[in-house]
Amino acid sequence: MSFFMSGFFWFLEGALFCIFILAVRAWAEDRSIPMPYWKWISLIVWVFFVGFTLAFIGTSFGEGEPAAAIRGGILFGVIAIISGVGLWRLLKIGNIPGEEEFATATEE
Amino acid sequence: MSDSKPAFNVDRRKFLKVGGATGAAVGGLGMGLFGYAAGKDPNSYLGWQTYEGVNQFFNRKRYEVDKPTYISSGTPRRVDPRVDQIFERRGRFMMQYMRGRQQGLSGPDMFEEPLRSYYRENPEVLELDILNVEEIQPKQRVDSRIYGQQFLLAEAWANAMGAVGPRGPQGPPAENDFPRQRRMMGSRMPGGDQPQGDMPTPPTVRNESGQVDLKDPVQTARLIKKIAHELGSTLVGITKLNPDWVYGYPIRGRGFENLDEPLEIPEHWEYAIVVGTPMSWDPMYANPTYGTSSDAYSRSRIVAARLEAFIKTLGFPARTHVPGTSYDLMVPPIAIDAGLGEQGRHSVMITPELGSNIRPAVITTNIPMAVDKPIDFGVQDFCKHCKVCAENCPSGAIPMGDKVEINGYLRYELNQEKCQNFWNSCLGSMGCRICIACCPYTRKANWLHRTALNVTANDPTNISDKVLTSLQKSFYPGPDPLEYFMPSMGGSNASYREPPWWLKAEDFIHFTPGTGVGP
Repeated sequence: MSFFMSGFFWFLEGALFCIFILAVRAWAEDRSIPMPYWKWISLIVWVFFVGFTLAFIGTSFGEGEPAAAIRGGILFGVIAIISGVGLWRLLKIGNIPGEEEFATATEE
Repeated sequence: MSDSKPAFNVDRRKFLKVGGATGAAVGGLGMGLFGYAAGKDPNSYLGWQTYEGVNQFFNRKRYEVDKPTYISSGTPRRVDPRVDQIFERRGRFMMQYMRGRQQGLSGPDMFEEPLRSYYRENPEVLELDILNVEEIQPKQRVDSRIYGQQFLLAEAWANAMGAVGPRGPQGPPAENDFPRQRRMMGSRMPGGDQPQGDMPTPPTVRNESGQVDLKDPVQTARLIKKIAHELGSTLVGITKLNPDWVYGYPIRGRGFENLDEPLEIPEHWEYAIVVGTPMSWDPMYANPTYGTSSDAYSRSRIVAARLEAFIKTLGFPARTHVPGTSYDLMVPPIAIDAGLGEQGRHSVMITPELGSNIRPAVITTNIPMAVDKPIDFGVQDFCKHCKVCAENCPSGAIPMGDKVEINGYLRYELNQEKCQNFWNSCLGSMGCRICIACCPYTRKANWLHRTALNVTANDPTNISDKVLTSLQKSFYPGPDPLEYFMPSMGGSNASYREPPWWLKAEDFIHFTPGTGVGP
């Protein structure tokens, strides 16, 4: 069995996902961006969609369907980029201007 | 006091954020590599030389229904294979057509009954049957000489797979189906050897007919299914035999003497066990030129013959029905009754595991078993919208319209003649199977296609059917249907997908100049 189909691979993916979530939390705190539950859900859904897109491209190449990989990659990729931009704007909702600089100065 | 060394001050929050960004990138790359591994995974070649692929079996329980998804719409009529079954009819046609032509006859008068009446009622069928003999086959022979070398390995592969197969029935059901009288483990069969001298009489497990005393039909069904899998079947289901599916007349090669005498359904054809195996996936996708049905039919035939022997050893009658040794009945509706799948627009059964890529065989018997329920996993609604098979069919045999009544049942009407005429025009291993290859359900068992299957099977709104159909059409395009034809008919011998490397004859065989590889 390929390493990428093994349970250990999914364990590593889970660990990386946790680090990513912690990093987002730190990033939001540093910028004084409130992160209510709906922002977390939107973010996680988007991350899963990006993961799906990448897995779709890989699977299609793997099973000998390059047309599906390219066309699906473009379609889902464009959706991921557009929704990513929307998500970025959503995440910033509630940001208090100037708080970021204040927090940085306090740390120093 | 000042420190002489510069402080190595690591900002932990910054480190965490950089780590998170790196983790996201590595995780994303991992998803892509996982996908690639899943696409290449040998386990996704479901049912090919193994019946133990990962996630092989679809959980049918929640999709079970009391009645099959085909609809009874009138008085059922048993099929008359002498005219309705194209292989049987064309076998008779050939002999009578050649003789009639020598006698200077034309039209339906060239034929004996029942062909004469049939062709009078269906002149368009006669036209297509003649077209096959007079135009298509001669053209195919010429094209085969010019371009056939390209498909030499495919032909060899098909012949190899079809080379092994047990004999079919050697007599009518009353003679062939019952166990031979010979000594069996556990007791004596009726008329077998009597104990000699002071040999103790063994405890018997059989009744006077020589049949073992089975404890429970549910357990017997479980046993039969396990044995069928052990013998090599990918899928197996059990049903009571519906007499509507038995041919009205016997056909050649099944041990019947008089083929024009109606076939009486024997009492011991009470149950039907349906076994099935898929065609090798990569050649199957490279149809119509590189694939073959022989690989799957050969395996199904062997499984069926072995299962027949197993059942007979238990003292019960059994008879196999599978190509190579032919049938006394129609297999797809029986397989649908047995819960293996549903009938698609292309008239081929669609199973959840293998899609249309299944070649079934039936064993008729009366060994008491619990039967399976038919299933409804959304194929009827999906096929209504999809039409991928009809759009890709070069012969135009698959209808774009709605179901019509045929022999008392509503179904999509496949034009058998157009379908088989195209078969006969193909170079390579013979046959077409494009509708099987392009069917959205005929996908390897990986996470992507299994997810799509589960979405369609569980979506009551049918919105997913339309979405997935349009994705199928834009993501998985095939050649223009006209390209599938041989060059003399305006095509280029195209195949739905590239053949696997081991069927590309030009990579292994040195062709002499002038033979021409490809169009």
